[in-house]
Amino acid sequence: MCSGRVEAEIMVLKIFFPQCCNLADSGLLVGRWISGHNSAVVLAVIHYPFIPSQVKTYLQQMQAQSGVELSVLGSWSLPKEGQEGMESFLRDLSTIFPQECWLQIHREVGKTGFNCRVVHRDQRRTLASLQKDVDGKIAQLETNKETFDRGDVEDGGQEKQQDKEDEDKVIFVHYEQRKVMLSELHPPEAPDSETEPPSELRQVFHTVAHSQPLYFLDKYDDGPLKSTHWQSEGREASIIVELLKQATVPLCLLISWLLSVWTWICGLRVFSLQPVRFLSSKLSTCNQLSYRTDHMRALSSVKSAAEHAHFMKKANIMVSFLLDVALGVLLMWWLYRDDHIAMLANMLVPAADRVAKELEELLQWLMGAPAGLKMNRALDQVLGRFFLYHIHLWISYVRLMAPFIEGILWYGGLSACLGLSFALSLLSDMIALLTFHIYCFYVYGARLYCLKIYGLSSLWRLFRGKKWNVLRQRVDSCSYDLDQLFIGMLLFTILLFLLPTTALYYLVFTLLRLLVVLLQGVLHLSVDLINSFPLFASGLRIFRPYRLAEGVKFRVLCEEPGTALHLMMETNPLKFGALVQTYRLPTYSCYPKDSWLALVKKLFVGQLVYPWRHKSAKTD
Amino acid sequence: MGPDGAPDEGVPWRKVLWERQPFPDNYVDQRFLEELRRNVGIRQYRYWAVAREAGFVGQQLSCVAIFITLWLYMEQGLLSPERLLWTCLVCALLGYGLHQALTTKLESGYKIRTHLANLQSATIFLSFTFGFSPVLKTLTESVSTDTVYAMSAVMLLAHLVSFPYAQPSPPGSLSLNAALFASVCLASRLPGALHTFAMLSCALLVFALWPCLLQRLRENAPNQFTGLCVGVCIGGVGGLGSQSPGGAVLLALALGSVTLLCPLLLVRLQRHKDNIHGPWDEAEIREDLSHFLR
Repeated sequence: MCSGRVEAEIMVLKIFFPQCCNLADSGLLVGRWISGHNSAVVLAVIHYPFIPSQVKTYLQQMQAQSGVELSVLGSWSLPKEGQEGMESFLRDLSTIFPQECWLQIHREVGKTGFNCRVVHRDQRRTLASLQKDVDGKIAQLETNKETFDRGDVEDGGQEKQQDKEDEDKVIFVHYEQRKVMLSELHPPEAPDSETEPPSELRQVFHTVAHSQPLYFLDKYDDGPLKSTHWQSEGREASIIVELLKQATVPLCLLISWLLSVWTWICGLRVFSLQPVRFLSSKLSTCNQLSYRTDHMRALSSVKSAAEHAHFMKKANIMVSFLLDVALGVLLMWWLYRDDHIAMLANMLVPAADRVAKELEELLQWLMGAPAGLKMNRALDQVLGRFFLYHIHLWISYVRLMAPFIEGILWYGGLSACLGLSFALSLLSDMIALLTFHIYCFYVYGARLYCLKIYGLSSLWRLFRGKKWNVLRQRVDSCSYDLDQLFIGMLLFTILLFLLPTTALYYLVFTLLRLLVVLLQGVLHLSVDLINSFPLFASGLRIFRPYRLAEGVKFRVLCEEPGTALHLMMETNPLKFGALVQTYRLPTYSCYPKDSWLALVKKLFVGQLVYPWRHKSAKTD
Repeated sequence: MGPDGAPDEGVPWRKVLWERQPFPDNYVDQRFLEELRRNVGIRQYRYWAVAREAGFVGQQLSCVAIFITLWLYMEQGLLSPERLLWTCLVCALLGYGLHQALTTKLESGYKIRTHLANLQSATIFLSFTFGFSPVLKTLTESVSTDTVYAMSAVMLLAHLVSFPYAQPSPPGSLSLNAALFASVCLASRLPGALHTFAMLSCALLVFALWPCLLQRLRENAPNQFTGLCVGVCIGGVGGLGSQSPGGAVLLALALGSVTLLCPLLLVRLQRHKDNIHGPWDEAEIREDLSHFLR
């Protein structure tokens, strides 16, 4: 609210004026005063002729419906032929609608600038504005020259004695009403933020967006009041959107019913047994399934989204899901035509054979003298034969499965209809199953190596006559007995000389395992990308950039002497980086939590490494 | 007059800094360095006593030489492992008997239990070594001979350097471990698993059990101890001489310098010792503080 102080304080009064009302007929300005910021938002113009009491009831109705504190801000006059007595009529209205400040905005046809007079109730006189510098509140302005409107000054006794004249300075900020109504200011504030009162811009956006009931009255209505706003030419709607809105309710009910059936199936006793549960927590397909189920549950709730973030989340989920399914169907179409499945199945078994043969050759090489390194022959032979036997077992297993592979691929390809992410997860699981033997070898090698390193470090301490103090977590000296020393020494020598052999096997199998992990990691990352990328928000940013605003910028529209300053407010669209960060959907996989250094240290000591650990997925 | 030529004011100078005195801060009077003492409590070494103690070092050196001689014999096939084993067993029993005889009544106590514990330890050693000897034999197959010799030499040197000459009975960890490591390295070069086992048993005897006996001898029969040291030295030189005369000459030189030359150097250099003591030294508590513990 503008305050009625007459001291030498210059107050800048900002009036946010919708562009659609620039050429409206004369009438009353309806809007809201922004508390604490000395500004006002004009929402609509109610035309002459009107009955003031009806205006008051209408405003109260609107206030009750929308929750915004609407009030009559002042009068607007754009005189046309035959409306000469308008000025004085409008001036007298200030007594009917008692306000702290009453704005009288006057525009001549043909001139671009407006004239504005502000009447303060306690002074009962108009004040003219002075030429002053621009207030620092409008930082985006490039000019700081002001023009003022010199109007009549009814002087009271006090004013004549001062050297300066206290006048209000008025700045008109024009905004496009429909765009501001639809746009959402970022960063979105938390719903219960009590730390600071919202900024002026936020209040402006909030006011325009929430005054929806005000925009339903259009020009061609037969009611007692006629108003001008962005929708006064008549409400527009699209048939498709309306049909979709009607169709969503039965669709949501169908999806909820399907979900409840699925939840019942998953809740069967047979699925809560321990081995099944353990297996399903390791397979990424099951994780993806439960993740999508959660999404569907979020989508299928019948009540519409309350706030913007919720709405964006639902929209993102829907669009991602549709794209996913579309890509999956595309994949399916490619797979099932031209007998690609049979081709893939025929490629698979020879590929597995090739891998096994390569591994065998690798082991033979290790059992000889690899790279000129001298290995302990006995241990070498033992380890090499052990791993060769494993490979032999695995080859038999693959040969056993060979007739069923085509069927498995055929049915597995059907799952792509649920989405490309499912197909990728299935592929990742199949890779994990096919390379299970590499994983086994890695675990054996790592455990052996870890044991050896642990034993060596402990016996090295014995060599020097020290031991590890568990209580104090430090190395202390210790006097050992003769037999401890003797046996410890023998074991130390044995472990030391067998170290190169074990280390080499460990190194080779770790490298193989890391290769497989890398491959799986790429697949998981792409699934993650499909899951979490906010497609709807990006589309909105590209096609309707005013919907997601990061701030505003101002442009000077008119700077004529004798009129107030006119600025045009345009929204700054949100940057892509901030957009992705704000609207990313949370996913279930986490990035490797070990830094590179920690990973290398773990590999060196021989601890088992699982770089892509999933967060614990919720089980149905 | 002080060194800075301060005027003598008639007020006596006191060696305090917390009072303002008419003298400069670095002033000293004629009682400067009055309390300086030189070589207080210095030991006067007598040549033959030092030589006798140094004989112990020479003895250990000869022990190592005897061990290497035995290894050389086994490697060339001149000594069969069974003979070595029987010899070690007999020596062990003799040594154990001597050890028990030299233990005084005060230290003995619980004789039966100690015998049983010793027997148990011995059984553990022997079974462990026998079980692991095939593994131990193949340990250094892929390592080149030079590396093995170099490693063993370094380890035996470490053993000699870190040996607890003052108190050999609880064996020093590093010295014993280094010696055992060297013996495993050498033993793995022998032709058969039984050779390895015999060598390791010999190493156990020489490096682990022999110093315990020496400790007892040194405590209870010092004269015989000296004679034994001399005998071991001669045995070492002789044994090595049968394999390689050059080595024997080197060993003799080393023994001579350690037992005869180094004590001479010590006694001679002691004369040049010049320690200064004074009231600025760290305080050493000499009295018995146990009456504070009550």
